[in-house]
Amino acid sequence: MVKVKVFATLRNIVGKNELEVQADTVGELLEKLYSEYPEMKKELEKGAVILVNGKNIEHLEKLDTKLKDGDVVSIFPPVGGG
Amino acid sequence: MFGYIGKILRVNLTTGEIKTEELKEEDAKNFIGGRGLATKILLEEIDPKIDPFSPENKLIFATGPLTGTTAPTGGRYMVVTKSPLTGFIASSNSGGFFGPELKAAGYDFLIIEGKADHPVYISIKDDDVEIKDASHLWGKRVSETTDKLLEEFGDKKARVACIGPAGEKLVRFASIMNDKHRAAGRSGVGAVMGSKNLKAVVVRGTKKVEVADKEKFMSVVKEKIKKIKENPITGGGLPNYGTAVLVNIINENGLYPTNNFQTGVFPYAYEQSGEALAAKYLVRNQACFACPIGCGRVTYHPAVGVTEGPEYESIWAFGADCGINDLASIVIANHLCDELGLDTISTGTTIAAAMELYEKGIIKQEELGDAPPLRFGNTETLHYYIEKIAKREGFGDKLAEGSYRLAESYGHPEYSMSVKKQELPAYDPRGAEGHGINYATSNRGGCHVRGYMISPEILGVPVKLDPHDVSEEKAKWVKIFQDLTAVIDSAGLCLFTSFALGAEDYADLLNAATGFDFTADEWLKAGERVWNIERIFNLKAGLIPEKDDTLPKRFLEEPMPEGPNKGHVVRLHELLPKYYKARGWDEKGYPTEEKLKELGLDKYY
Repeated sequence: MVKVKVFATLRNIVGKNELEVQADTVGELLEKLYSEYPEMKKELEKGAVILVNGKNIEHLEKLDTKLKDGDVVSIFPPVGGG
Repeated sequence: MFGYIGKILRVNLTTGEIKTEELKEEDAKNFIGGRGLATKILLEEIDPKIDPFSPENKLIFATGPLTGTTAPTGGRYMVVTKSPLTGFIASSNSGGFFGPELKAAGYDFLIIEGKADHPVYISIKDDDVEIKDASHLWGKRVSETTDKLLEEFGDKKARVACIGPAGEKLVRFASIMNDKHRAAGRSGVGAVMGSKNLKAVVVRGTKKVEVADKEKFMSVVKEKIKKIKENPITGGGLPNYGTAVLVNIINENGLYPTNNFQTGVFPYAYEQSGEALAAKYLVRNQACFACPIGCGRVTYHPAVGVTEGPEYESIWAFGADCGINDLASIVIANHLCDELGLDTISTGTTIAAAMELYEKGIIKQEELGDAPPLRFGNTETLHYYIEKIAKREGFGDKLAEGSYRLAESYGHPEYSMSVKKQELPAYDPRGAEGHGINYATSNRGGCHVRGYMISPEILGVPVKLDPHDVSEEKAKWVKIFQDLTAVIDSAGLCLFTSFALGAEDYADLLNAATGFDFTADEWLKAGERVWNIERIFNLKAGLIPEKDDTLPKRFLEEPMPEGPNKGHVVRLHELLPKYYKARGWDEKGYPTEEKLKELGLDKYY
């Protein structure tokens, strides 16, 4: 199982801050989340920041990034500030 | 001229002379306005080597061609002067409503010279400008000063920019506060105002800013507002959670500086996040002049009543950087700084440096006497020393000098997390190399808003750059971000628009307002000119690139101890030469003659 942490508007959609999901890749994880929380897909349509153990999947294997037991996946809708 | 009023107001506090001058169109074309044009004026009118607290220093309130127009976020102004914190150029940006009001009174710039022999304020009602006695306001906090001045002025629509006790006491990181809670925060601009015995500027204007092509301008504005509203950051994250929406993402990425940058992971980040602030203390959003984003937070806490903020940077400075997780204490600390007129970043980071010095046994309890111990995580300590800093009482007098002078006085400057003596903000550069270069080369010293590389390196906007990459490509992006930011600051817009808008969009707005008809590249070139004239000011003030374009030793030598960036140091020596090259400077960091000629700046250096 991987630990999934969600932030900002995603928390209202999921109804909690963290959940556990079984998945072998980030792509598979997202599909599982989207089927359970269709609104999440809509929320992330305009972009998302997805980290595996704090590293952005954009600089790993993107959606093909492999997941293993105990990994932490953090998912953010687009955010900014400064 | 369009976009511009075309007029500069000059007030000499030594002689009492008040006069107006024409703004030159050629200057406007070359330096845009605001930050850029004010720096050009400062460089021409003062010797960059002077003591920042001497009457020879000048304080410039500068608007841009889009300030006071309906352009989205067209409410910004800059305060430009020589900084008493860094000894280099200071240009502090603020929002709210003061900038547009100054312009409505009929002035693009207000240049303040000399020094009054007693506390005064400047009162501006359109063409009616007076220097008035402010003895009864000296020592007063920001909200009381503002309320009293509005009452005296007799027009509630007037706007006030003032200093608090910290500016009067020449705290080197004192801010200028306008509309009570908006800050021209950084580099000690408030201390320069205090050194001139100037407590406040009150302004009320009834004129309108004329743009070159009204119809075109209206349609361009409408289009850009739509882009901002439809963008998920400026139309979603920022209005929903404010700037503190960043707390979690920066922490999850492992670059949320904790305990004076000793690590980049704070276990209690969620408790001080934008989400937590919205759930606990938010009353409503607050927008500055002409802003469709509305990231400002009106908040309430019983200890301070209705207040504003805290912003991401302030939450971090009083939170993770001081090892504090209690959001209520952070809300109170932020409110105190607004009232006392202190920059929150430098205040928090200076206290954090003192905490590390104390915990390492370098500052001893005997020196503090009965005052609370400077321990990380101690909220009582935080509030106590904020008050003491502003009044320069007890140990607060040492803290009021800023973290660099404090740490250096104990023979340990390495514990000051600063660049060019200005405290760094809320991102550990060991997790973002481009942002590290931006820190090292920012003309006003440690600063995140001179080229916000966190955007591409961490947030993925407008492109996704690997935060640990140190290629020439990265160096070029730093330059583009710095130059574009100089355009935005000089135009009178808010940097946050850049999450949704690009160079072409700013060119559209500027062209429709000014009628100049420049390409996006030509506006960027003006931004580059601004960057270079700031660099010239600094070089003339005594900047030595080899010594000053650097980062605290911690980032270069101590690997990040934990989290996603574990083991990383900043590879400054690899990226800095590439940055100099991208800028067209020589390998030592000096602008080349060729570059200066290209920018038309060769007569200055």
